[in-house]
Amino acid sequence: MKSKFTIHLNRVYAMGGTFLLILFCSSFAFSQIKGTITGSDGATLVGVNVSIKGTNRGTQTGADGTYKIDAAKGSVLVYSFVGFTAKEVTVGDQTEINVTLELDEKLLGEVVVVGYGSQLKKNVTGAVQTVGAKEIKDIPVSQIGQKLQGQLAGVQINQTTGKPGQGMSIRIRGQLSVSAGSDPLYVIDGFPITGDIGAMNPDEIEDISILKDASSTSLYGSRAANGVVLITTKKGKSAGTTVSFNTFAGIQQVPMRGRIKMLNAEEFAQFKKESYEDAGQAVPVEFQNPSQYRDKNNDWYDALIRDAPVQSYNLTVTTNREKARTSFVGGVFNQEGVVLNNTYKRYSLRMNSEYDISDKVTLGFNVAPQYVFDNTPRTDGDRGTGILFNALHTWPIMPIYEADGKTLTLFNRFPASTGNIFAYPNWVRAAEELVNETTTTNIIANAYIQYRPIKDLVLKSTFNIEMLRSKFFFFNPSTATSAINVAIPTTAVSIRQNFENLTWLNENLATYTKSINDHNFELLAGFSQQRFQQEGTRIQADTYADDRLPTIQGAININRGGTQSQVQEWALTSVLSRLTYNYKGKYLLTAAVRRDGSSRFGADNRWGTFPSVSLGWVLSDESFIKSMPKISFAKLRASYGVIGNNNIGNYTPYALINNTVNAVFGNTVAPGAVVTSLANSRLGWETTKQLDLGLDLGLFNDRITFVYDYYTKRTTNLLYSVQIAQEAGFTNFNDNIGEIKFWGHEFALNTRNTTGKFKWSTNANISINRNKVIALADGIDRVYGTFHITQVGKPFGQFYGHISQGMYLNAEDLKNSPQVPGRSVVGSIKLTDQNGDGIITNGGDFDDRVIMGNPFPKFTYGIVNNFSYGNWDASIVGSGSQGNQLLVRHIYSTANLDGVFNLVEGVKYRFRSESNPGKGMYGTTVGGGNVTGIERDWMNSRFVADASFFTIKNVTIGYTIPRANKVFRSARIYTSIQQLYVFTKYWGGPNPETSAQGDGNGNGGNLSQGIDFSNYPVPRTFTLGINLNF
Amino acid sequence: MKKTLITALFMFLGLSSCKDFLTVVPETNLSTAIFFTKEADFQQAVNAAYVPLRPITNDRAWLLGEMHSDNAYYYRNILFGATEQQEDIADFAVPTANGVTSNVHVLNQYRLDYQIIGRCNQVLAAIDKVEFGAESKNNLKGQAQFLRAYAYFELVRYFGKVPMHLTPVTNRQEAAIALSEVEAIYTQIIKDATAAITGLLPKSKQEPGRVTSGTARMLLANVYMVRKNWGEAEKLLKEIVASGEYKLMPDFNDAFSTNTGNKNNIESMFEVQYQEGASGFNGAIIYNYLPRPMSPEELKPITGTSNPQPLTGEGNGAPTPDLINSFEAGDKRKDATIAYVTIAGSLRANKVFPYNKKFAKTHSLHGNTGNNFPIYRYAEALLFLAEALMEQGKTAEALPYLNQVRTRAGLPDATTTAQADLRKQIYQDRRSELAFENKRWFDLVRTGTAVEVITAYGQKVKANPVEYYYPEGATVRSHAFSNISLLYGLPADEAALSPHF
Repeated sequence: MKSKFTIHLNRVYAMGGTFLLILFCSSFAFSQIKGTITGSDGATLVGVNVSIKGTNRGTQTGADGTYKIDAAKGSVLVYSFVGFTAKEVTVGDQTEINVTLELDEKLLGEVVVVGYGSQLKKNVTGAVQTVGAKEIKDIPVSQIGQKLQGQLAGVQINQTTGKPGQGMSIRIRGQLSVSAGSDPLYVIDGFPITGDIGAMNPDEIEDISILKDASSTSLYGSRAANGVVLITTKKGKSAGTTVSFNTFAGIQQVPMRGRIKMLNAEEFAQFKKESYEDAGQAVPVEFQNPSQYRDKNNDWYDALIRDAPVQSYNLTVTTNREKARTSFVGGVFNQEGVVLNNTYKRYSLRMNSEYDISDKVTLGFNVAPQYVFDNTPRTDGDRGTGILFNALHTWPIMPIYEADGKTLTLFNRFPASTGNIFAYPNWVRAAEELVNETTTTNIIANAYIQYRPIKDLVLKSTFNIEMLRSKFFFFNPSTATSAINVAIPTTAVSIRQNFENLTWLNENLATYTKSINDHNFELLAGFSQQRFQQEGTRIQADTYADDRLPTIQGAININRGGTQSQVQEWALTSVLSRLTYNYKGKYLLTAAVRRDGSSRFGADNRWGTFPSVSLGWVLSDESFIKSMPKISFAKLRASYGVIGNNNIGNYTPYALINNTVNAVFGNTVAPGAVVTSLANSRLGWETTKQLDLGLDLGLFNDRITFVYDYYTKRTTNLLYSVQIAQEAGFTNFNDNIGEIKFWGHEFALNTRNTTGKFKWSTNANISINRNKVIALADGIDRVYGTFHITQVGKPFGQFYGHISQGMYLNAEDLKNSPQVPGRSVVGSIKLTDQNGDGIITNGGDFDDRVIMGNPFPKFTYGIVNNFSYGNWDASIVGSGSQGNQLLVRHIYSTANLDGVFNLVEGVKYRFRSESNPGKGMYGTTVGGGNVTGIERDWMNSRFVADASFFTIKNVTIGYTIPRANKVFRSARIYTSIQQLYVFTKYWGGPNPETSAQGDGNGNGGNLSQGIDFSNYPVPRTFTLGINLNF
Repeated sequence: MKKTLITALFMFLGLSSCKDFLTVVPETNLSTAIFFTKEADFQQAVNAAYVPLRPITNDRAWLLGEMHSDNAYYYRNILFGATEQQEDIADFAVPTANGVTSNVHVLNQYRLDYQIIGRCNQVLAAIDKVEFGAESKNNLKGQAQFLRAYAYFELVRYFGKVPMHLTPVTNRQEAAIALSEVEAIYTQIIKDATAAITGLLPKSKQEPGRVTSGTARMLLANVYMVRKNWGEAEKLLKEIVASGEYKLMPDFNDAFSTNTGNKNNIESMFEVQYQEGASGFNGAIIYNYLPRPMSPEELKPITGTSNPQPLTGEGNGAPTPDLINSFEAGDKRKDATIAYVTIAGSLRANKVFPYNKKFAKTHSLHGNTGNNFPIYRYAEALLFLAEALMEQGKTAEALPYLNQVRTRAGLPDATTTAQADLRKQIYQDRRSELAFENKRWFDLVRTGTAVEVITAYGQKVKANPVEYYYPEGATVRSHAFSNISLLYGLPADEAALSPHF
């Protein structure tokens, strides 16, 4: 690197010298002007054109951002640079003119990356939103998704867990499916990758385009329905060589606010004492004197939480020489989690290079290797895996430490007479002693050749490869485990799972551009093939002689059920074409079509066609708008298209045989085989038809820009494993069924509130997304989840349960109210008899359950404010959600009135007697499971909580060191607080963004959104960072 | 030159065959495209059809057939909840409306029976299209026919009318069909069982653990007993006796398999096969039957394991005082069926509890047993034969068969030839002989005594709950014994998936 750098600088100086010589010889009448050009961030700018207006004469700034030019007094110097607003200065008597160029914020002049190309923003007819790297550079997080929170209209981004490197849920325009994936398609430099971008180093990114409507996504065909995120990585753009180094370091903390308030040891003993007394039973000796626990509380949750550091280092070098452009980004990211023994490390490199080997041929190579190490304790989920969940449940009278105060207990169990059913392993040990490591090595590489045989035609052929090798190692030693009700020592278990993925894509594109008079055409045609192969091996072994040797051969038993070869494969062949046309840049038309053939589709339904068309009208180019000077830009857009979702699994159409359903006869094991699924050769993609209407507006010379979009879309042919009557011998049939309607409004407003020395700009957005189920399978008008119902005519996945009216307050109330036969007593929960049959029924034909809540927000919003004053800058990013609810799932057990687990603080205010009826939330403990089981097991409205929130995601204050010195072109230091504060009334846990699905272990999918198991909390992070440009 | 080269490159990249490229078949699973093409495939498919019998007998049938009778109750633990599903069955309070119930055990029994049926249908639909040896093919068909008949026989006795699938379902529309009449179901059961008798090998030639021609005769005889077709039953049962394939084990205790031994013995006509170990073939039925809570120290003498764990929650299958008192004095079967354990942690004043000893065989590891579960024993064939003869008035002819069973039990020969007395005696011996073998409820229904017996039993439970293992002060649930009906409601979860019920 070093030598190239030097050569390059020499050449620049040599060029400058030649210029000077010429100038000196011919124009001695002029005086020499010199100066430095900087950007508004204080960094010197290389390659700025400096010219004398009205002449052909000019120069460029050198690598240090300085220039020299001879100019006569009174002549006008023009400073221009790509991406910046040009500036003119009239030469007076001075010999030094230093100029600061402002970034060109006239957004509508921008070029936007769209699918298979780029377009002038002015000419875009689809719904596309872009975010530049600069806008999100200060947010000190590991994932791009976190950086985008609050920035985008129509995109709901939730951080569902605080686990480092995980848990970003990104949904474009509320898209969801019953059982197919709902994640958008991620395309990095034209390569649709097979996973997500959670592990990608954000510093590699130049900009991000979010394609929202069918016209902008339809070229991605059967993968487009969930929206497309295009990521462009850094290229060597600015002339010369730039080097920048960015680093930050911070400390993460879990705020006290939002943690679930549980009973402490004394309160718990008091609760137990009271429940025995209320039942008229003898109080076990352990609870007779609650005050003995006053100073012996064990906060198991707090014991798992720590303050943890985070660091990031990124070095970026870009060069742009005559025929070669390269960029290099190297990053190191190191985050300790706020839960004990949680580590996330990422080492990444990216090298992008492009060479013009002739006027007509350009070659490009990008390669981006990356290594991620992640050790995450089993924090999330329910009783089996969620140690945070389990910590809440553990009796606070159970000691974390032995009497010596330092040795961790192995497990705790009180005598059965205390009502202690389960053994509680020590969760601190579970965090520290379990190994749950994933190491992932990933390389994305692209090579392309671009050939321009004639001026208007570009042929481009690309070959892309993504290789991923993932190694998972889990070890549960005999001394600890993540599940409740396991006595220690337990059976030690190891799991090793290795995967190798290989994806390749070949794409061949031809683009023909032609302008005839005022008619401008671009025609794109292409052919592509992509294939994905995954091979994996999983080995599960158990019963170890020695925990220190968790090898496979160290195990006494290999678990056959858990030991498998795993192969996944798919192939996709496509043809695509697009016509872009405009007349005078005023009347715009785009028509596109893609045909996809996919191995995932049934043999009788292999090819899908995905067309779209869109129109645009730049009103502001019409004379009747031109006469309104306040309107600087106006465009109307309309688009319609058909797109698909092929995330239906790789082998879903096939009828599979399970040949491990073995039988035993006498003492002989005999192999057994079962047909486990029904074939469906017609199985195909999910189809979404989407209409989008949009308005782009710029006012006051674009100081205010406004974008509005309305969309409506219908998703049909949803992949659904339709439950069938099991009398058929099968449980399900994979079919394309049903119809969901989505519609919504998106508003995005950008304003430059003040200019001048104090600059303040605001970017605000609001998204309203709605959905409604139009149809399910014929004969099926509803699908139940454990806590949800998806019903025709209603929004998707609504919470379903009984409506609580508090408790039966006295014998009279009980007598006069509908009851659960044989179970309701005074003080037990009083549910609503919805069907008026006089009794309360859970399930079956006389079900009294109804829709009791909605996991979807009424609207989501974001607001970003940027300020600068002189060398100071600041920004505040907020994002919020309004009107969504969560089902507080852990209440099922954290308010188990039988006292099997520790309880939430609110249980102190339960019903105890007619004269002490409590607050109506929790009922009597008397009567045991027959009574308490109703309020616990019958999901009811008390557990639905408003989860509206507004989070100040990030506040940053930065200071740019004013004058660059010899070493740095510019330097900036900043400090920021991530996840500063969550404004919410949500009471069910620390993170209202959480949305565990189904049973908390990923089962249940989209039908079961909005369940809170009390996941890994999202920490507050204080950081200090430095940006250096050399 | 360069231009040609580049053009050639584009041409090359553009060429690839689409059809092959897009055919990606599963590599880690067999699929129906290649299965059911050779003998071994059918062998495996038949083997898998036996598999649901394990969860049926381990987890469900004892609840529906034994605890749902006057033989067994639960060991009420007031400190423990989430026990309603079992209690409802024992208390004859299964919530049922419109012929449908949400009880999870009913649901699972139903689904497991249809798993057997579905697997048998796959075999029977395809086996005649593939050529292989007749004896093997007939034996495989016979097993599938037997298992299908057995599953429908369970269903028709639990539920009455049920949907009858006889061919594999191939799409969603065929999944749920109308309920068949009880008569039609019995006709099919008789047809399958009759065919199975012909195809199946006798016990002496069959691999141990599989059903035999004798098992199929026994099943068919059982069907005729239920239908009071005494003559047909007699004929089949006499064929069994005459076959010489079966004998009573000299000691009643030895009629049942131990953890690893004495399986499929000479008395056994069919038993569900278990094997201890980590491969998933194990049972744990004794753990379903023991009183709870129980400490490891109390448990260890019963199970003999090296790692006894505490049993928490509420125990099931408590032998009722009715059962315990029903044994005749001197009946050796009493001590082989019932034993006692003292539980220090019980909330009850009397801390001594009876438990089902019949299946309490010592084994190695906690919760993992290998003893088989009897479906048909030769002793039952003899009792059926005695009963079939008695019902036809051939009481003298019936006595020797009955007395074979009584002799082994250490009891004096029955001598009465009065039909009513002999009927009572045979019923008495069936109860003592077959306790906990999931026969009691079916016998009560079959003999028309269910409502009368259970009503009286319910009154006793309610009048004296402590006798039925409630702790002092605990009460019987108010709706107990409110739904004494001869059939279970069809499962609600299946009703939701079927337009026919």
